[in-house]
Amino acid sequence: MLRMAETLRRVLSGYSAVETREDTVEAGPPLLLLGAPGSGKTALLFAAALEAAGEGRGPVLFLTRRPLQSLPRSTGAALDPLRLQKIRFQYPPSTRELLRLLCSAHEAPGPAPSLLLLDGLEEYLAEDPGPQEAAYLAALLLDTVAYFSHRGGPNRDCGLIVALQTQEEGDSGEALQLALLQRYFPAQCWLRPDAPGPGECRMRACLEPSGLGPRTEWCVTFQLDGEMKITRWPTQAYDPSSVKSSSPGGQP
Amino acid sequence: MAVALPAVVEELLSEMATAVKESARIPDEHLLSLKFIFGSSAIQALDLVDRQSITLISSPSGRHVYQVLGSSGKTYTCLASCHYCSCPAFAFSVLRKGDSLLCKHLLAIYLSQVMRTCQQLSVSDKQLTDLLLIEKKQEA
Repeated sequence: MLRMAETLRRVLSGYSAVETREDTVEAGPPLLLLGAPGSGKTALLFAAALEAAGEGRGPVLFLTRRPLQSLPRSTGAALDPLRLQKIRFQYPPSTRELLRLLCSAHEAPGPAPSLLLLDGLEEYLAEDPGPQEAAYLAALLLDTVAYFSHRGGPNRDCGLIVALQTQEEGDSGEALQLALLQRYFPAQCWLRPDAPGPGECRMRACLEPSGLGPRTEWCVTFQLDGEMKITRWPTQAYDPSSVKSSSPGGQP
Repeated sequence: MAVALPAVVEELLSEMATAVKESARIPDEHLLSLKFIFGSSAIQALDLVDRQSITLISSPSGRHVYQVLGSSGKTYTCLASCHYCSCPAFAFSVLRKGDSLLCKHLLAIYLSQVMRTCQQLSVSDKQLTDLLLIEKKQEA
């Protein structure tokens, strides 16, 4: 189970196969988590929050418009109250409030967060869909996290993961907005539905660190009891140096 | 990309910084490269640097932001950590059309860092919040 959580952290922190030393933890580039409604973005964000909270490097800031209806079950163990305590939920009800929260982040006392999570970016963008407004919000998110990293001190970077809902058939406006956001979020993770087994919901997570590493894929399974499991996507197709032909169904 | 400059630009800026340290001016060859990459924005940006139009504003928290006094007399706000400028050219040429890497104000900021010449201003934490909350009316 510990391996699973570690795997998730690596997935969402965007540092793929890079090994990190205990004392120097790089947050990885800001990550945009994309998927249709119900694809598991909130659950993954929350799992990342728990993982980061468990690292003890600083509180986790979780921003979303509405309180989560239920705390998503995460990989393995029951929710550890000590970890939950380290996650600060804030619910900015409007884009203006979100902007104010980010702009005044340096006024708030206390230790700098080690991770900033934002769920439902599309709702905040919908209020002001123009490119300048979208760029401003994206840029402010980056600026806030840069400040947290600065305040955290050396070896204490603050990570950023933002979830954005996408439609199955987006229009050109959505494509333009996404292209704009990708300027600010060079790493993206796409959650796409996969053929489910009985009683479970499976998603394929494609992590694209855009020039910072190879694309990696994961399988995120939501079971009936709400538990989430993450495994590497079983594929040999991407390895050009592999001589053997790939056989499906193999699990690493 | 709004978080990093293309490698060729980074290299050019780095070479310029080294040259400036030695001779306090930018060599002609670098100016030519700058013009090649940025077109007319290069001249306008250099002009802004010459006029001391760039101010680095910080507060006791350590957070900071830039303001650039444009040629029209309007002041534009630029973020320090990634590419964002409140000027209309940024929204149009950089974001919408995508045919410019930077607006002249953002380029001027990079150049002022290379030349190590920049006004500095200290404000309170609250004032910095207000500066970051770039008000809509400025963009009209």
